[in-house]
Amino acid sequence: MSGILTRNCVATVIIQQLFNGLALGMAYALIAVGYSLVFGILRLINFSHGAVYAFSAHIALLFVGLNFGIIPAIILSIVLTGILGVLIDKTALEPLRMNNSIPMASLITTIGMSNIIQNLLMIFFNTERKSFPAFFDFGMIKFGSVQVNSTQVVMFVVSLILLVFLTLIINKTKLGLAMRATEQNSKAASLMGINTNFVISATFFLGGASAAIAGVLISGYYQIVYPGMGFMVGLKAFAAAVLGGIGVLYGSVVGGLVVGVSESYAATFMGSSYRDSVAFIILILVLIIRPTGLFGKKDIKKV
Amino acid sequence: MKRKLSIILTLAMVMGTFAGCAGKTSGTSSQSGGKASGTIKIAVAGPMTGDNAEYGKGFVNAANMMVEQWNAKDGVLGKKIEVVPYDDKNSGEEAASIAQKIVSDKDIIGVIGHFASGVSMAAAPTYQENKVIEISPSASHPDYSGMGTYIFRNNTVINVEAAAGLDMAINDLGKKNIGIISIKTDWGTSTSAIVKKLVTEKASTGVKVVAHEEVMEGSDDYSPAITKLNAAGADVVICVGMYNLVAPVSKQYKQVNPNIAVVGFSNAYSQQLLDLGGKAVEGLRFPVIFFSGSENPKVKTYVDEYKKRFGSTPSALTSQAYDSVGILLEAIKTAGTTDRAKVRDAVAAIKYDGVTGNTVFNEKRDVQKSFVKVTVKDGKFVEIK
Amino acid sequence: MDKNLEKGKSKNFILILESFIEKYKVPIAGVSALILLGLPFMGFSQYIMRIFIMIGIYSMLALGLNILTGYTGLVSLGHAGFYAIGAYTASLLSLKLGANFLVAAIGGAVLAAICGLLVSLPTLRLKGTYLSIVTLGFGEIVKMILINWDKVTNGTLGLKNIPRPSMFGLKLTLVNNGMYYLMLVLVALITLLCTLLIKSKIGRAFMSIKEDELAAIMMGIKTTRYKALAFVISAFITGITGAFYASMIGFIEPNSFTFDISTLIISIVIFGGMGTIRGMFLGSAILIAFPEVFRFLMDYRFVVYGLVLVLMMRFRPQGMLGWKSQMPYKLPKLVKESLKKNNKDNLKTQQI
Repeated sequence: MSGILTRNCVATVIIQQLFNGLALGMAYALIAVGYSLVFGILRLINFSHGAVYAFSAHIALLFVGLNFGIIPAIILSIVLTGILGVLIDKTALEPLRMNNSIPMASLITTIGMSNIIQNLLMIFFNTERKSFPAFFDFGMIKFGSVQVNSTQVVMFVVSLILLVFLTLIINKTKLGLAMRATEQNSKAASLMGINTNFVISATFFLGGASAAIAGVLISGYYQIVYPGMGFMVGLKAFAAAVLGGIGVLYGSVVGGLVVGVSESYAATFMGSSYRDSVAFIILILVLIIRPTGLFGKKDIKKV
Repeated sequence: MKRKLSIILTLAMVMGTFAGCAGKTSGTSSQSGGKASGTIKIAVAGPMTGDNAEYGKGFVNAANMMVEQWNAKDGVLGKKIEVVPYDDKNSGEEAASIAQKIVSDKDIIGVIGHFASGVSMAAAPTYQENKVIEISPSASHPDYSGMGTYIFRNNTVINVEAAAGLDMAINDLGKKNIGIISIKTDWGTSTSAIVKKLVTEKASTGVKVVAHEEVMEGSDDYSPAITKLNAAGADVVICVGMYNLVAPVSKQYKQVNPNIAVVGFSNAYSQQLLDLGGKAVEGLRFPVIFFSGSENPKVKTYVDEYKKRFGSTPSALTSQAYDSVGILLEAIKTAGTTDRAKVRDAVAAIKYDGVTGNTVFNEKRDVQKSFVKVTVKDGKFVEIK
Repeated sequence: MDKNLEKGKSKNFILILESFIEKYKVPIAGVSALILLGLPFMGFSQYIMRIFIMIGIYSMLALGLNILTGYTGLVSLGHAGFYAIGAYTASLLSLKLGANFLVAAIGGAVLAAICGLLVSLPTLRLKGTYLSIVTLGFGEIVKMILINWDKVTNGTLGLKNIPRPSMFGLKLTLVNNGMYYLMLVLVALITLLCTLLIKSKIGRAFMSIKEDELAAIMMGIKTTRYKALAFVISAFITGITGAFYASMIGFIEPNSFTFDISTLIISIVIFGGMGTIRGMFLGSAILIAFPEVFRFLMDYRFVVYGLVLVLMMRFRPQGMLGWKSQMPYKLPKLVKESLKKNNKDNLKTQQI
């Protein structure tokens, strides 16, 4: 390493890589929140989330292409992706709950759904990488020798707002109360007059909408959109969600940042080809020490 | 009732599946039986679905265009020519299975494909065993054409192209501190190794590789690699990848260091590079054997026709596929028969003047082509004279 | 009331089917064995024979995962990792040391089994979803090692020219159908192993863990030990399959063993009916043949594939062949005889 980097560069590189990692980590955190929401209420790994994220970016791109303007395109993307989330739940997952199917059936269903969405995207939007407009690019911001992209700052701020917003929904609204009740005991909740199916659909809507926010922001940062974009990012975001304690929203953010920063440092000190599995190595280590993740709650039984 | 129905449905599906299998076999056997069906088939194999589908579809478009021209002139040997596309999803496993399918159809004289070197090499043994001609318009792995006497490539071997790229970085741009970003695939690994070797050979002139970063496919964030290269003091980056690597790397690098020079490879040459890269790919240089803006009237008519039919300019690889089909058909015509062994000999001996220049196969069944240096200027590809 | 009636009817339907199979067990087994043995002589093209071999390979993979998921109730999302370890180890043994197929395959399987043991260690603390996540991570880590350990695995270039197995001086290939018969032998052996295992004490311990782990512990079953054993056996079978796959395909690279393969295996297990052996064959036959048969759908075939998975889970989540046995419980001979005696005695007393 020392052969490549001169000594006074090392400090700059380390700090620069920290910022690179934080920006990347924020992207993971945004997607991880969606996994966490659904897992929190259903104890289900929603494998279709990566495809939903890709869907949102394509929808935004479609409306930008149709000259809707940037802000309406983003809003439409958020709403439509939220509806897609509800559709997935209503068409595929709700019937399974009605049948009292085994949890693994839901897992396979989400894998199937992911297949359907991703391949439909490939058919309608082609597989090539498409250019995505840079929404929030106001140039670079310099701190001494360290540079930060303005989009990174926007991503950071929006993620925080989203997180606070979701936390408020869960803690302060009636819907949030119903969500928490359903999470703890859905049968008891429905006996208390809570329409659990509605609550779950609402959760899927929030999950889809958060995926859309992530999709628009991250695509705006990298300016690339393609149908397979959600796969690897989705897996790593999922690892981040579990790392922080799945079902706990602030855990997702912490998990995302940890994964992002460690990936960035792995690329620095080991080489970029190692970075993809760093998330999983850290995840396994954390799970062995703390089986429910950093901030996780106990008592998770379902698959 | 529901349960009964589902069982019946299940059984029906099973029967359907097997019936499908059986139907397929009878289909192929009847085809091989009716050899005098009056058509000559050419298989085009490549990724038609999945992440690299754009390349496979480009191959098919090119093949159809070439075949229609021949069919308009009464085909070859008085028979009509038919293009049969096969989807290998760019996976070695699928490719090997498709190769089996292709060789069991006796009407198929040759295969244009596959796309990636590794995939082509997974399929090649099957073609060689069954004496079916394979011409890959894109495989560039040095070992590929050595897999058998029926295995040809209509693409330059990496060594030649790497030397051309390096020449641009060192002599045209006058840079000495070379950084390499390569994609971690079979092609990327071997290409970057060759680039490195070529640089060490020139060490006496003060040229050196200051850093080499391998990046994974499917991640769009290259900032950690770029930070490393920048800290190592690279003044030119050789970017070993497709357009989908070159464009984002240029973009992300120029945010950090606006003066960086980027050199790419011929497979970065596609319209999408400009769409994706925008301003960041201005000044990007790379060697190509096919340049769509060429003054050559033959190339011009081809590019115009392609644009008219498919709405985009053909990429270098697509054009090589176009010529590959031409080579195969020309060879059938010269051989005067559809006997594959004789057609093979005709391919090996061919001198074909196509849109990607003069094609002659050497004894290793590789081609030598001359490179055109191309750069991006004002959002357009321009030839460097 | 109607519903109950219908339920009864469909129960009868299954009962009839099952008792039919039970009654003609020997002829059915014989006929299907004959068909399988005679398949190469039915004039199928090499392409079709290759699909049959792939079906065999995925049946073995599914049987391996079935022990873990179907019987013990542990969901693995990283079986491609074990598959890769088996394939790479066996290929390297035969490429570098010239080991013959049998030795290489066992070597690959043993290494896979050791990794299975390592992966199972966290299960001492983890449950349910978290265990699945660890296996998912394991699969990704194996892939990373394969990509980056260039010196041994040849990185992304993969391993080429993996020798075909030769037995009794005969080189087995696709053309002489040697690979097909080797596949049949392996499938038969693994099926036998699974059947014996499930009927043994170990198998009952596995099932008790799946049904109710707490109860199993109460019954004095050392569940952690059995869970680790399930991982080891499952990884062993998967490893052997990997070795066979490598020697059949002749070329492996890290991308042959992606997360998609793991999900495909688990889809087969659930599709066929987890916790059954018969289901594994049907599941792999359908899911492997599906993309081949529906090639004409081109772009849409993986959409339809996803749709099939979703519909299957909706209408038949227990899998195609996953039903609980309706047959009357078979009594051991001694019990039967004593029952008969009792009956006679009863009759006598009644007469008197």
